[in-house]
Amino acid sequence: MNRRLTWFFLAAGLAPAAAPTPGPANQSPAPSNRPPAVEQGATAPAAGPAPGPAPGRDPAQSNQSPAHSDQSKPDLGAMESAIAADPESLRTASEYRQAVIRAREYDRAIAFFEKLVADRPQSANAWLNFGYAYVDKIPAAGSISQVILANNALTRFSKSIELRKSWLALYTRGNSYLYWPKIFGRAPLGVADLEEAMALARSGPRKNVYARNYVALGDAYWKTERPAKARATWEEGAKLFPGEPQLKARLARAGNAEALEAYISDQLDPNKRVDTDLRPLWEGP
Amino acid sequence: MKRRRGSSAAAWACAVGLGCAFSSGAGGPAGAAGNGGAAANGRGFEDITRQAGLARPHHNRVFRNPYAAIMAGYTALGAAAAVGDYDGDGFEDIFVTDSAEGGKNHLYHNNGDLTFTDVAEEAGLAGGNDAENATAAALWFDYNNDGRPDLLVVRFGHTQLFENLGNGKFKDVTRQAGLDRYLNSIQAIAFDYDHDGYLDLLLANYFSPVNLFHPETSRFFPESFETANNGGGVTLYHNNGNGTFTDVTAKAGLTLSGWTLAVGHGDANNDGWDDLYVACDFGTDHFFVNNGNGTFTDKTATATGFDTKKGMNAEWGDYDNDGWLDIFVTNIYDDYMREGNFLWHNNGNLTFTDVARETGTYDAGWGWAGKFFDYDNDGWLDLYVVNGWVSAGPESYVPDIFAMIVRPGVDLADARSWPPMGNKSLSGYEKKKLFHNLGGQLFKDEAARHGLDSTRDGRGIAVADFDNDGRMDLFVTNANAEPFLYHNVLPAGAHWLELKLEGRKSNRDAVGAKALVDAGGRTLLRFVDGGNGFASQSTKRLHFGLAETAVVERLDVLWPSGLRQSFAQVAADHIYRLVEGGPRLEVLPAGLRAARHGRPAAGHPAGAPATLPIDPRGKQR
Repeated sequence: MNRRLTWFFLAAGLAPAAAPTPGPANQSPAPSNRPPAVEQGATAPAAGPAPGPAPGRDPAQSNQSPAHSDQSKPDLGAMESAIAADPESLRTASEYRQAVIRAREYDRAIAFFEKLVADRPQSANAWLNFGYAYVDKIPAAGSISQVILANNALTRFSKSIELRKSWLALYTRGNSYLYWPKIFGRAPLGVADLEEAMALARSGPRKNVYARNYVALGDAYWKTERPAKARATWEEGAKLFPGEPQLKARLARAGNAEALEAYISDQLDPNKRVDTDLRPLWEGP
Repeated sequence: MKRRRGSSAAAWACAVGLGCAFSSGAGGPAGAAGNGGAAANGRGFEDITRQAGLARPHHNRVFRNPYAAIMAGYTALGAAAAVGDYDGDGFEDIFVTDSAEGGKNHLYHNNGDLTFTDVAEEAGLAGGNDAENATAAALWFDYNNDGRPDLLVVRFGHTQLFENLGNGKFKDVTRQAGLDRYLNSIQAIAFDYDHDGYLDLLLANYFSPVNLFHPETSRFFPESFETANNGGGVTLYHNNGNGTFTDVTAKAGLTLSGWTLAVGHGDANNDGWDDLYVACDFGTDHFFVNNGNGTFTDKTATATGFDTKKGMNAEWGDYDNDGWLDIFVTNIYDDYMREGNFLWHNNGNLTFTDVARETGTYDAGWGWAGKFFDYDNDGWLDLYVVNGWVSAGPESYVPDIFAMIVRPGVDLADARSWPPMGNKSLSGYEKKKLFHNLGGQLFKDEAARHGLDSTRDGRGIAVADFDNDGRMDLFVTNANAEPFLYHNVLPAGAHWLELKLEGRKSNRDAVGAKALVDAGGRTLLRFVDGGNGFASQSTKRLHFGLAETAVVERLDVLWPSGLRQSFAQVAADHIYRLVEGGPRLEVLPAGLRAARHGRPAAGHPAGAPATLPIDPRGKQR
């Protein structure tokens, strides 16, 4: 099996932002459809083909609707004041970070949360959002900086868990471990976190967002060479959440280990922006 | 500039007797050579390294300084090759480097029967590796326009220039040429950037010019993995035309301080002046436009944008046959670093778009040389890419390097910060890639099918037609290992044409000259490059795969001097020689030396010579 892992300690939020990516053989390289150069690898030329979203590209650059454009200069200062007043509010912080992504003010957000946790060291959610702020910058960074950012994120998630074991924090850190290359042996830690998160999820009312737990836990089993358990987890999730596309995509490839490996590897590409928008937590069932 | 014509030219030419008489090359005595077992197995290439007499291994340099244990992992370089017909016998010879202290470089004379003889000692070229210098690469170029390829031996230390005396001997003229200077150069190209008719030299310098053999400081490693600016940059030497060179780097606007691993030239905007791509490790690559007045302008921001990758190769070629030269740059792709290569598609307006992902050329592992060539003569440039950093023991070096990266306040520029690699591996045992061009928009890896998927630590790829049969062969160098000579044994049905250009007003090597061939409704663009690609110089002979086209409807040659020459109805399956301004294409002998009996006499005219008026700006049609 040609396992493709990555060592980046990406902390996944609730959903990968990019759509499932076909392999090169399925991609259209038509000249008129060529994507712009990327923020991670290279900045876009001043002139060239019309920009469009593409695998590995930072959606912050090209995925903005006119409405988003109108919001590209939000009052970040006011949002920071609101977070400072209520550091446990996931919603306020999530909205702030999405605004930061659109404005590409990653360093500002990191600095803000650094100060916030210094002021409010017992706020578990402040630490969690601090970690997300690092994650948000990853696709805009070079490959080595990605390592450092992801490592920083991981330590912040651990601090949050230390303060309070929430489903979100466990899920996030567990998923983060899956981005490490196999050589670091972090996937088993991901299994532990994701199993604990799953136990918390099962102990309360069902939420659609828990479907992601089944996705990630299955991935964790897959990465620890337990394909049968991985498939069973995805199948269990699919029964509970039949509309979940990530589960469907994995099960559709379950009979082809190479295709499945390629798919999972692609999903965990650090050059892709991980959606850290937390709205699914309070929107929908 | 694209030109579309009808494809009935071949039939017409046969009817009037112009082309068919000469179209037997690949299928005749020349094409028959070596077309045996491997092809029958479906493999397009046959490893003939040992029987060819080329199986001498390269050895890495082992430094003897306080940082030797650390440097060992970062200097597994210097396995290089340069192809050139140094004795003018019509067969491409190979200069191959070693890097160990006392290690001998090799000048392999092509015996004309797919065997080679090392004549480096007799030629005076075997030295080059002593306690103060380590060979990194080599370059053939005719610096004095006497028709004999001279040799530049590129070194960590003092690069050397050897004049070809024409009797199988070479003379070290480094000092009198003004090139005796300590630089940690790793590659060089020769091109006539100012069109004065003499080849200039551009050196790619990796480390800054600190003496690596006796460093006075420990701070000579890259200060950053992504934005390092403490490397060696490049050095541009202007050829004064009198056997001497002058450093004009600053005057030309090429002052850089990146960790340059490769430089490549090509005419990006078809204005007749060759532009530059500078590929750098640990920081951004650069793209320079030639202003046509002896200076360059850094257009990186608008042409490609800045990057943080590990550029290791700068190869130019028109992979999609749209008349604009594109650029292929290798970077790193592995489990722990998903940078991926650049395939810069030329948009025709001095901007490029990276289409590596979309074309399937993104992942070639830890890439080194990547060369365009048309291995199956279908008219589309394919790509061969070698890779692999250090293939050693089962332990990985990745955790060690990671531990350093995340250490707060680590001083990366200090060699002492870096962990010794020991016997650990890093991106080792990687399989090479042969990206077959499926029509200009997509590539498919066919390396395993054709026996080109070695797992040695590849460095350079010299592409040449060593047996003059119209099918391009590969000489591949490997760090600390034997090289490979891959003989192309694909079935010889597809037509081809090769062109050896000789400048007169332009530089004698014709570097920078472009040729356009109309074949099968397509126009193919090729140009003479002066050593593009990491650790390897390919042939200067232009090669066109013509597929079904037996007669080329039109052939245009655009010289750096601005002269344009056009020929009509040129028969395929020949190697032609064209002297700048000369009236006709001369057929050179093809095939192996032993198979030449009964070949048409050399010098037989082909086509209808039609020298067109000079376009002083070299604008293309």
